[in-house]
Amino acid sequence: MLDWIKNINKEYPDFWKAYLAKFETKSNRYVVLSTETTGLNPKKDVVLSFGAFGVLNDVIKIGDNFEVVILQYKYLHDNGLSNEFLIESKLPKLAEPQAMQALVEYIGNSVLVGHRIHFDIELINEALEKMSCGKLKNEALDIEIMHQKYLDVTNKSFSIEDMVKHYKLPLSEKNSASDDAYAIGLLFLKLKTLLGFK
Amino acid sequence: MSNSVAQNIANFLREYPPFNYLRHDELIQVATSIGVVSLDKHKTLFKIDDKLHDSFYVVASGVINLSVIADAEETLLNKCYPGDVFGLRPFFAKNNYMMTAKAREDSIVYAIPITVFKPFVAQNPQVLDFLLESFATNTRNPFDKENRSKLITDNVYTENQSNEIQYFQSLSYNKMPLKVTANTAVKDVAQLMTENLIDSAIIIDQNCPVGIVTDTDFRTKIANGRFPITVAIDKIMSAPVITVPENVSVAEAQLLLLKHNVSHLCVTTDGSDKSEVKGIISEHDLIVAQANNPGVLIKEIKRSLSPKELKLVREKLTDLIQSSIAKNIPLPHIYNITGEIITAIIRRSVELAILDLGSPPSRFAWLSIGSQGRKEQLLLTDQDSILIFEDVAPEKYRDVKDYFLKLAKRTTTILEKVGYQFCPNGHMASNMLWCKSMSDWIKQYNNWMKMPGEKSNDISSIFFDYEIAFGEGKIEDTISDLIVSNTKNNALFFDYLGNDTLRKNPPLNFFKKFNVEEEGEHKGKFDIKNRGIMPLVDGARLFALSLNLRGINNTHARFKQLALVDPKFSEIYLNCADAFLILSKFRTLEGLKNDNSGDFINIEELNKAERERLKNALSPMKDLEELIKDKFQLTQFS
Repeated sequence: MLDWIKNINKEYPDFWKAYLAKFETKSNRYVVLSTETTGLNPKKDVVLSFGAFGVLNDVIKIGDNFEVVILQYKYLHDNGLSNEFLIESKLPKLAEPQAMQALVEYIGNSVLVGHRIHFDIELINEALEKMSCGKLKNEALDIEIMHQKYLDVTNKSFSIEDMVKHYKLPLSEKNSASDDAYAIGLLFLKLKTLLGFK
Repeated sequence: MSNSVAQNIANFLREYPPFNYLRHDELIQVATSIGVVSLDKHKTLFKIDDKLHDSFYVVASGVINLSVIADAEETLLNKCYPGDVFGLRPFFAKNNYMMTAKAREDSIVYAIPITVFKPFVAQNPQVLDFLLESFATNTRNPFDKENRSKLITDNVYTENQSNEIQYFQSLSYNKMPLKVTANTAVKDVAQLMTENLIDSAIIIDQNCPVGIVTDTDFRTKIANGRFPITVAIDKIMSAPVITVPENVSVAEAQLLLLKHNVSHLCVTTDGSDKSEVKGIISEHDLIVAQANNPGVLIKEIKRSLSPKELKLVREKLTDLIQSSIAKNIPLPHIYNITGEIITAIIRRSVELAILDLGSPPSRFAWLSIGSQGRKEQLLLTDQDSILIFEDVAPEKYRDVKDYFLKLAKRTTTILEKVGYQFCPNGHMASNMLWCKSMSDWIKQYNNWMKMPGEKSNDISSIFFDYEIAFGEGKIEDTISDLIVSNTKNNALFFDYLGNDTLRKNPPLNFFKKFNVEEEGEHKGKFDIKNRGIMPLVDGARLFALSLNLRGINNTHARFKQLALVDPKFSEIYLNCADAFLILSKFRTLEGLKNDNSGDFINIEELNKAERERLKNALSPMKDLEELIKDKFQLTQFS
C-alpha cells in the first residue's frame, strides 16, 4: 500500500517496475544461471556473459534460454585487456544496461539456481545500481551448498567439474556460460531428487 | 536467439535415425524444443496404462529398460542406449502406454514434444517410414541389428495374441501333416509316409493328437522285430505329443525340442493336446528357419571379417543365453554351447590377427584361461589368455617373441572391441609375462608347483584352468602332462592351493545372514562371485588336480566326475555340483539384467523364497571346506 512513499524520491525505470510487479505471484519456474566474470571482486569486476535455462516441473527447457555476451569495452580498455573474444563470439551481444534489462525481464520472479549464485547476484546488483534500480528480489539456490548438504560436509568447496564427476554426468567439453548453465541444470535436477524437496 | 546448447544437442541427434534425415536448421528447431529429464536409477518414466505423455524420448546418456508384464511377471523387452528412441505410442495411438520405461542406471533423456516433431514426420516421408515401420513390425530383433533402425516400439501386443511376446521370427512348418487313426496298421502308415515323403505321422482321435510316430519309432520298434508290421499304430507311437500353439517362435520351438529331447512338435489350435491338429514342426524346419542356432552362429563367426561382425554375433549369443535360461534349459548344456561359441570367437580373433600380421614364425597355442578355460562364461567378463610358442633357436628368439607379442596385442584388442574388457590383473597373452616359449612355460609351471608361495604369493590358480582356443594341441598336452607329473607327491602345492581356497570370506555370518559388502561401490550387496562361486570353483580344481582328472575343466563336470572316482564323499561332491549351478544361475540372471558381470547381488531385490534358495546353495561349501582340511595337510601356509 505504502510502496509509493518509499519510491517517491526515486523513479525506477519502467522495466524494473514491471519486474517488481511480477513478485505479487509466486513462481514454480526455476532459472539456472551461470555467469562469466572478469574476477572475484564484486566492486571492481564485471560480468562478461550470461547463460541461463528455465526449469519447469523437473524438466530443463532447452528453448527457454538466455544467452548474451556483454560488451564491456570500457572495462577491458581500462584494464588493458584484449577484447578479441568479444569480436570472435557468435553469441548475441549487448551493452551492459541492455543486457541487465534483458536478464531481469527473462528471469522475472523465478527462483534462481547457480553455482555460488550469491556472487553472481552481487555483481548483477552492482550493475543494476548504476542503472538506478533496486536489488534482485529472487530467491536463490546454490548447488554447491546443496551438494555439501547432501554429502554432509561444510569445509570443502566443490567446482562444477567436481560435482559433474561425482554424479557421473556426461560432461560437455566446451565451457561457455551456457554449457555451465546446462551442467548446473542437470546437477540441480539430480540434487533436487536426492535431497527430496519439491 | 542463438542457443549453443541446442546446437550441441542437434549435433548429438544428427548421429541417429530418424534425426539423420532432417536438415540442420530443422534439427536446431527440434533441439530448441527439447526438455531434458534426469532420471535416477530405478526411476520410472512412464508405466503401463499411464496416460500418454505429450513427448517421445531419446536417451542422451545411461540406459532405459523397457518392459511389459506377461504372466504377472515383468519381462524385459529392450534396453535403450544413448541415441535410441522410445515412447513413440503418442504418434500413432490414443490409448495409454503399453510398456514401462524405467531407468536401469542414472540416465538423462531428451523429451521431444510430439507437436513439434509431427510436421517433420508429415513433410519427410523417410522419417514417417522409419517411425511407422518400426512401430508396426514389433521390431525387437537383435538378429539384424545392423539393418535395424535404432528405434524401439512399444506396440507389443497384436490382435488375438496370447501373452507370449513374439519378438523372435515366426516359423514356417508343414501345415498338412499326415494324420492317421489309432487302429491303422503300422504297415499302412509306413506306406503313407513313404508316399508323402514325410518322416512323421500324427495319430489322432477326433482330430486331437494322441501320439506321434517318426522314423525313429520304426527303427527302434519295428525293424528290430519287437513288433510285427501288422500291429496297430498306437502300439508303437510315442505319447504324449509335445504340442505348441500356432504362433510359436523359432527360439521357443528349439527350446522345447531340447527340453523334451524330441524331434517333432505338433501344432494345435490352442497349444494343448485337446484341440485340433494344425501342423507339425520338425527339427529340419528349425534348421531352415534358424538364425540363432549355435551352429549358424559359429558359421557366422568363421565368416566374420571385422571385430564389429564378431560383436554382433556375441550380442546374438547373449540373447540365446537369455532365452535359454528363461526356458529352463539345463545350465551345463548352455555352458557347453556358449563355451564352444566363445572359443570360436577367440579363434577367429586370432585368425584375424594372423591375417593382419602374416603367418607365424613357429607353432604356438593360444589358451584361454580362467572362466573361459573352464567353459563357464556366459556373461561378458574380462579376457584371460596365455600364449605358448615352440622353442626356437636362440638367435631367432627375439624376433619370434616379438611377433607373438604383436599377435597377442592385436587379438586382445579385437576381443576388447567385441566386448571383452582387458583383464585388470594383466592375465593376457599380450602381457610379456604370459607370452613365452614352451621351455619358459615349463619353468614357470615348475616354479608355481614346486615352490608355491616362494617367489610370489600370487600363483593365480586360474592358470590351472585352460582350454586351447587356437593352435597346436600338442602344446596343451605337454602342459597337462607337466602338471600331472608335478602333482605327484607334492603335498606342498596342495597345501598352498588348499589354503588359497579356504582363505575366501564366508558367505554367511554367525547369524546365518548374508555377509554383504560393507563399503565401496557395491555397499550392501552380496558378492556372489567371490563368496559363493569362487570357493566351489577353487575346491573343484583342487580335488581335480589331486585326483588327476585330466581334460575336465568345467566345475560342474569336475564335481560330477569326482563323485564317481571318490565315491566315499560323492554326496558332498554332488551337492556342490548342484550348488554351483544354482549360484551361477543367480549370477547370470543378475548379470543379464544389469548388463554387467553379475558379481554383486542385491539381496534386497530377492524375494523370500529366492533368498532361501541362495542360502541353501551356500551350505554345501562348508562340507567341502571340511573335506579339504581333512584331505590335505594345510600347515605350511596357514
